[in-house]
Amino acid sequence: MSKPASGNPVAGFFRAIGNFFKEFGSAVAKGDWGVKASLLISGMGWLKRGQIIKGILVTLLEIGVIAYELMIGFPYIAKLGTLGTVEQAMVYNPNTMKNEVNDYDHSLLILLFGVISLVTLLVAIVLWMANIKAAYELQKRAEAGKHINNFKEDISVMMNGKFHITLLFLPIMGIIIFNIMPLIVMIAIAFTSYDQNHMPPAALFTWVGFDNFKSLFTSNLTTTFGYSFWKVLGWTLIWACLATFTTYIGGILLSLLINHKLTRVKKFWRTAFVVAIAIPQFVTLLVMRSFFANTGLMNKFCEAIGFTGLMQKLGWVSTNYIPFLTDPTWAKITIILINIWVGVPYLMLIATGVLMNIPEELKESARIDGANSAQIFRHITMPYMLFITGPYLVTQFTANINNFNVIYLLTNGVYVTTDQKLAASNAKEVDLLVTWLYNLTSGQYNYKMAAVIGIMVFIVCALFTLIAFNYLIKGDKEEAFR
Amino acid sequence: MKKKVLCGFLAVAMTAAMVGCGSKADAPADDAAATTDDAAATEDEAPAASGETVALTVWAAEEDQDLTADLVEKFKAANPDQTFDIQIGVESESKAKDDILVDPTAAADVFAFASDQIVDLVNAKVLQPVQDTDTVTSENIPGSIEAATVDGTLYAYPFAADNGYFMYYDSSVITDPSNWDAILADAAAAGKKVGMTLASGWYNAGFFYGAGFTTQLNEDGSTTMDWNGTSADGIKGVDVVQAMLDIAANPAFQAIADGDLSNQIATGEYAAIVDGTWDAGAVQTAFGDGYAAGALPSFTCAGQQVPMGSAAGYKFVGVNANSAQVGWAMELAKYLTNADSQITRFAERQIGPSNVTAAESDDVKSNIAIAAVTAQNGANGVVQLVGGNYWDPSATFGETIAQGNPDGTDLQELLDNLVAAVAQPAQ
Repeated sequence: MSKPASGNPVAGFFRAIGNFFKEFGSAVAKGDWGVKASLLISGMGWLKRGQIIKGILVTLLEIGVIAYELMIGFPYIAKLGTLGTVEQAMVYNPNTMKNEVNDYDHSLLILLFGVISLVTLLVAIVLWMANIKAAYELQKRAEAGKHINNFKEDISVMMNGKFHITLLFLPIMGIIIFNIMPLIVMIAIAFTSYDQNHMPPAALFTWVGFDNFKSLFTSNLTTTFGYSFWKVLGWTLIWACLATFTTYIGGILLSLLINHKLTRVKKFWRTAFVVAIAIPQFVTLLVMRSFFANTGLMNKFCEAIGFTGLMQKLGWVSTNYIPFLTDPTWAKITIILINIWVGVPYLMLIATGVLMNIPEELKESARIDGANSAQIFRHITMPYMLFITGPYLVTQFTANINNFNVIYLLTNGVYVTTDQKLAASNAKEVDLLVTWLYNLTSGQYNYKMAAVIGIMVFIVCALFTLIAFNYLIKGDKEEAFR
Repeated sequence: MKKKVLCGFLAVAMTAAMVGCGSKADAPADDAAATTDDAAATEDEAPAASGETVALTVWAAEEDQDLTADLVEKFKAANPDQTFDIQIGVESESKAKDDILVDPTAAADVFAFASDQIVDLVNAKVLQPVQDTDTVTSENIPGSIEAATVDGTLYAYPFAADNGYFMYYDSSVITDPSNWDAILADAAAAGKKVGMTLASGWYNAGFFYGAGFTTQLNEDGSTTMDWNGTSADGIKGVDVVQAMLDIAANPAFQAIADGDLSNQIATGEYAAIVDGTWDAGAVQTAFGDGYAAGALPSFTCAGQQVPMGSAAGYKFVGVNANSAQVGWAMELAKYLTNADSQITRFAERQIGPSNVTAAESDDVKSNIAIAAVTAQNGANGVVQLVGGNYWDPSATFGETIAQGNPDGTDLQELLDNLVAAVAQPAQ
């Protein structure tokens, strides 16, 4: 798999696929009767060379796959094209006191099992081809008079020389079953009409091509997804940038402050900030939400000290309360500030660790050369921090794009948009793509649009991560710090 | 060599995976076969004589668990020939739809839900139409039957008629609870507030229903509203908006976030609040001896007094059409909502009955909150049938008013936008 591909990795990938087919072709052409018989009965190639157990296992697997596909797989695969045509119908039978249900199609199950069966089929075909190739390799070994392993020896190879394959087998199967297959189904849903009006088992849904993607970029009187999408995407990116960098800089400054030689009782300060982590985030956030509500404590306090009146005089607030979590601009500021409060302690811990590792000689020599503290911070501390925590920053940014907790817990049930276009597509000014997606699925059952937005989230994250890792982190800075 | 070994190993593993996948895929088929067999077996037998145990699941609100358990025991006692295995689960009436629609086949056989969810549940074909319509229709008040009927079919068994909103007030502060102006003036004089939820299409529609405007649900799940025009009573929509803005701008008025009413009452800052029977206890504690309730007050609209309407809400018991024992589920639903059960429900939980005879009792009539909701529903209550896309835009409309229309949007435009947004077909 990981042979060093020269040049373009994409071209290398296709070359590898080409080679696979070429080798398969030559194996079929040049193989003896054992190899050729393997085309029908997979184990023949092994049986011919005396590898009985392996031959039987391979044949059993072949029978299993064929039986599965014939009995369960193909009926589902056959319906994949339409996702079902027979709608559910029920008639109540007063005599049995039961509903009589017809043999209806369940679009979601068809999609699910169709995909599973199809993937199984593809994997089986690849294995079948690989098996032919392997049988041919075996034939060549036998012809060259080399030793042929028996089953015990094969097992011992798996436990020793090829142990990495044995170890990786379970994780890879897990990824295929729990990640790749659901992912394919989710992506497929973006191309269907799966929504509140087409919910199995009562109704069918079907393929609609790129219609959902079109409506994501359409904005007219009744469909406002286009309008909402760009607004939500804009805020998602602004939020991800601000949330990442404010906590990052805040954490570094805080840890510098605590580590400063003039700071007393360092351990106390560190503990005080870490206590904030000890309380579950959702508890803090929910408390914050009622604290900053229109009729919450913060507003009572601001009113008492005359802050609300001042804001009204300045024309920044038109209501008789400060809309900390109910006005688009105020809410965004409040959310970012609360996020700093919640996120800075983590960064402080990381920064403390990294800062302690900066070689003291570096700073020492800089100081001898006449650099002041600000210069040392700019030219030594920050570059070092950035180098060490670069990958962390990138993951943090993508995590913030999907930072469901902070946004949802702070605004759910409190924030109501006053923008009718956003409301028409169930979005809010403070929604991230991921919270919007959640609203669409949990309240509106609009799975098709949620799937489309999910794909968009993936594209945004993937694009950013690729760019960031390629241009920001790559390089040979490591030597600079050695 | 490497490939050969890998291949062999994968082979073993795939066999194992096949077994796993195979058994999973087999399950639905088996189930289907089993149910067909069952149906065939019991077809010729009378249901009561069948020896099978009827397994049912009931979802009821957390506060109603003990009550429901009692009623279920009585139901079992009333059907001694049949063996039952009835499980009771917790599900709030206001959230029932959300959990049922995720997977209707996994939901309870019998469940309680609030009347505003009926359209979505019917569209998803979750509700089994009522078979014994004569009994249910004759025993319950007409408003509840109207709310439980979609396209001429009765889909649910009403059990509560108190799921509406009205005005609670502190009679020691409010001297004239008949109109908003007087109420706000009294509250301001006492340094207290008057609260109402505006950012919800359930509450804020009351102003428009009172002025003769309507909402109408269409086939495609969109909602048609005439709020941006002139109502049958000759009142202009923009005048209603202006009246709402005037109330919202009154310093004694406090717009309360949806779902935050009970928290707000507890602060003791209110002299009057628009709320429902579910908060009766909290309001009584807050208002003490002054505790009183009545129909919603009238509001000043373009110089004239217009009585406020409301979305009259009911609570129903529904039967899941996907139930394997749908006949017995319907029997149980009917039992849980009959006159005796409603009387018990009122006695234990102060839930206002929808049953005509149960509602006649003196105890029910003397309950201040239930009397108020009955008066409000009777005078100006409207059965609110709207599509799924009504709620977010109407909440936005209410929030804009609660904030005093901060952008100074033309009121006609405000209504036009709302009407356009709710006209979106469900998707």
